Amino acid sequence: MSDAAAQVGLPPVTPEVDHKEGKGRGRAFLGIPVVGWMFLFFAIPYTLLFLQSLWKPTAFGVSHDWNLENYKLVFFGDALSGNIYIPTLLRSLKVGALVTIFATTLAFPIAYLLAFKIRNSRTRLVLYVLVIVPLWASYLLRAYAWKVILGQNGLFASVLDQVGLANTFLSNLLYSQSAVVITMTHIFTPFMILTIYAVLERLPPSLIEASKDLGVGRFKTFFTLVVPLALPGVIAGATFTMGLSTGDFVAPQLVGGPHDVMIANQVYSQFGATNNWPLGSAIAFVLLGFVAILVALSTQAERREQL
Amino acid sequence: MISGTASSDGAPAQGAPDGHAAVELENVTKRYGDVTAIEDFDLRVEDGEFLTLLGPSGCGKTTTLRLIGGFEAPNRGEIRIGGEDMSSQPAYRRPVNTVFQQYALFPHLSVSRNIGYGLKHAGTGREETARRVEEMMHLMQIPDVGDRRPRELSGGQQQRVALARALVMNPKVLLLDEPLGSLDYKLRKDMQFELKRIHREVGVTFIYVTHDQEEAMTMSDRIVVMSNGHIEQDASPAEIFDRPRTAFVADFIGDTNIVHGTVTRIENGHASVDLGPLGEIGGSTDDKIAAGDRVRVSIRPTDVRVEHGDSGGAVVQDSVLVGGHIAMKITSGSETVVAHVGRGSSFEPGSDVRLHVDSDRIRIFADKPEPAADESQDAAQA
Repeated sequence: MSDAAAQVGLPPVTPEVDHKEGKGRGRAFLGIPVVGWMFLFFAIPYTLLFLQSLWKPTAFGVSHDWNLENYKLVFFGDALSGNIYIPTLLRSLKVGALVTIFATTLAFPIAYLLAFKIRNSRTRLVLYVLVIVPLWASYLLRAYAWKVILGQNGLFASVLDQVGLANTFLSNLLYSQSAVVITMTHIFTPFMILTIYAVLERLPPSLIEASKDLGVGRFKTFFTLVVPLALPGVIAGATFTMGLSTGDFVAPQLVGGPHDVMIANQVYSQFGATNNWPLGSAIAFVLLGFVAILVALSTQAERREQL
Repeated sequence: MISGTASSDGAPAQGAPDGHAAVELENVTKRYGDVTAIEDFDLRVEDGEFLTLLGPSGCGKTTTLRLIGGFEAPNRGEIRIGGEDMSSQPAYRRPVNTVFQQYALFPHLSVSRNIGYGLKHAGTGREETARRVEEMMHLMQIPDVGDRRPRELSGGQQQRVALARALVMNPKVLLLDEPLGSLDYKLRKDMQFELKRIHREVGVTFIYVTHDQEEAMTMSDRIVVMSNGHIEQDASPAEIFDRPRTAFVADFIGDTNIVHGTVTRIENGHASVDLGPLGEIGGSTDDKIAAGDRVRVSIRPTDVRVEHGDSGGAVVQDSVLVGGHIAMKITSGSETVVAHVGRGSSFEPGSDVRLHVDSDRIRIFADKPEPAADESQDAAQA
């Protein structure tokens, strides 16, 4: 209990930290593995990819003619197939946003339950493990599971049959955007739960007691106190979910229909079937740009939250 | 005699005799699983009183406070606040407010909004809220920190904000859960006087929980000493210090030496006790003891005088400077006694000494099993 204040970011003393330069200079070598790792597996591949995007595709490979044609194609399309990449990107962002909203809505109550309502530590552990266990199963396996659930004679269809909703719009879920959103919501909700729980767990219960003590009821306390205090966790989880789900290509491939192709599928096919690496790289970099903007915005929001 | 009976000896005569007490607990029992925090607990807190629940950790004092605040529900018994039964009311419907141990200030709100939190949600108008917040900050002597976040304040300032946030609600009773625990010594001393001043100025009933006997002594009108979920003694600070009812209280309140001896003579609550190598001593007692009984004798270190003695008597083992006085550890036979003496009258370790004790503050207690066994006795009676 005694360090609870420090945990919410309430240092006991006014935090006038001296930033003394050069104090850690002797330990700089400790950073070498990290810098090396980032250089080898991040800087080099991304540089190569970026260079690729500025080159020209040929029938059997790439010619090193510097040009911006690939980016022009991504943003404006061509006469033959029209503009296909930007609408796909927007659709991907929409799917990402939907997944983020649903995952947050599902995750918050569970995280809240886990952090505050379950007093028995064994029950909490069991629930916590239940949240984590799906993460141990392969993504593909879970996506295939939804194929089974949402399929023509699947679990969902038979339940609909039972309640007399067969042959409605609900019975054709598989191979649609809804199926893509459902599958990805299932996949990303555990991450959301974990990030929100991490924040809620560190809130001293005395804050909630203090709110009730001051005459504010349960429901109002939840919205005026718990939600704002959990916002950093929500933002972190949402950024994560949004970034990963926007760039996902497995779910649309397995449970999506022909019109639900997402931007990562386009990248995939440029590198695979079409063998147009420069265009694939350009699409990837445009996507990266959007995600970078997203992360920048959320970092800023998070910082404002913590002030 | 030490089970949950809250006699009000030593309590200041406040409030009308037939009026409602600020807080009343009747036969309250609270269990956590198999652990009994308090059992058949009775307590009456008068209007405007500064009452301290004092005891070691795990004695049930915080549980008692949380039961009054509405953060825990009793298994049995009734809790009345201002005469009304509150046992089944949630915390947010009780006319009491709490100052939490770690202050529990809302980190995402400014100081003003922290203090105004309760008023705002009670539907108080913006202007009145601002006025009352301002008033409170003035009373707490933190007038210029309204726009800051709690983490930008010092511990003492955070403490004052927590007090302001609770008192601005005009509670019938203010509950304070070891509020000075995380402040350093000097600040704690200052805040003790501050709390006393604030108590005087607002006139609200204070129920204060602490394990620090000095804090309890300084501020309280009345102290309830608790141990193992029951009341050991309920009296004024002076009474508790001068006439501890049990060896536990004597030991817990201030330093004391508990030495063993045999009663040689008893008359009108005054007993003579043979302490063996320490000689014979006289003191007062409330316990039923007879000549020949084994007893425990409480001797305050400040009441022990030390003189040069012959070899074979008491020997100084250790002598350390403690602030303004010197604490000497002296052994005689199997007993060890600590004496506090002025800096001029100390002896080197190894010196042979003789001990004298002024008798009017010596307390004698029947030698009986430790509190753990006491509880089973209580249970048998219940």
